[in-house]
Amino acid sequence: MDLTIALIVIAALLVATVVLGFVIRWSQRRPRVVDVTEAVDPARLGADGLGEQATLLQFSTELCARCPGVHRMLSDLAGERDGVRHLDVDLTHRPDIARHFNVLQTPTTLILDRAGVIRTRFGGAPGRDVLELELSRVLEESHA
Amino acid sequence: MPEPTRIDARGPRFAAAITAGLLLVDVLLGLTGLPVRAELTAASLGERAADPSFLLLVVIAVLFLWGVLSPRTAPWGVLFRAVVQPQLRPATEFEDPRPPRFAQGVGLFVTAVGLVLQLLGVPWGLPVAAAAAFVAAFLNAAFGFCLGCQMYLLLQRVGLVGRARPAA
Repeated sequence: MDLTIALIVIAALLVATVVLGFVIRWSQRRPRVVDVTEAVDPARLGADGLGEQATLLQFSTELCARCPGVHRMLSDLAGERDGVRHLDVDLTHRPDIARHFNVLQTPTTLILDRAGVIRTRFGGAPGRDVLELELSRVLEESHA
Repeated sequence: MPEPTRIDARGPRFAAAITAGLLLVDVLLGLTGLPVRAELTAASLGERAADPSFLLLVVIAVLFLWGVLSPRTAPWGVLFRAVVQPQLRPATEFEDPRPPRFAQGVGLFVTAVGLVLQLLGVPWGLPVAAAAAFVAAFLNAAFGFCLGCQMYLLLQRVGLVGRARPAA
């Protein structure tokens, strides 16, 4: 292949990769409102209970580089608000839980309301501001 | 030497940036060399292996292998700790060393596929594999994207890793 064409291909590869990176980042920071009525059973996750007002349910694996950072942020957030609990479930050896919640990437974060019903889902590392906004929304709606 | 439980999160991203640069050079060598020419199928095994893109990808694959076998002594990690880290502010983000090690294994697998395809005389095999590895390394370096986050549960679903283990 001619060097000029090869350089154009390289430039196209570089641009496509950068675009892909921004698309992934954009999709990961976006919350998805979940419309199911299933209440999460804490015993199945190995926890002794859920938060009184809301629960930040995080799924992690051992090989996930972003999970510890999200863990710190979520436990921080849970500490700031009364009745909000943070649960971190390691899926490394629990394919059953991964399949049940249809988790395909980690970290995945679910916001549960006071009844344990899943209200919001984040695939990937969420932004703190978006998370706080969603948590406030769930807290308000469960009081309405 | 005992495994460190936490490493500076910037180390693996620094290594990924160098790796991405090397892989991009390799794609360029591949696109301008034997791997995309029709002569590849007729070339001898020695000619296929002597192409500069093949030789550079062997070097990159060896570095990946090094990163899997002994992450503490891998060249880019040593360079980071000796030269780059002292210039930076103290680390604020630490991470588990297992995810980057897994990513090195994935890199090794992808580059090895490229090398085998080149030796088998499959046109475009080597530059395409190098480009795939480049995308992963670049996204890690520039966006902090981690392969283990995206791939582990998919591999688990097809039953390759992380089978259910009875609680100890």
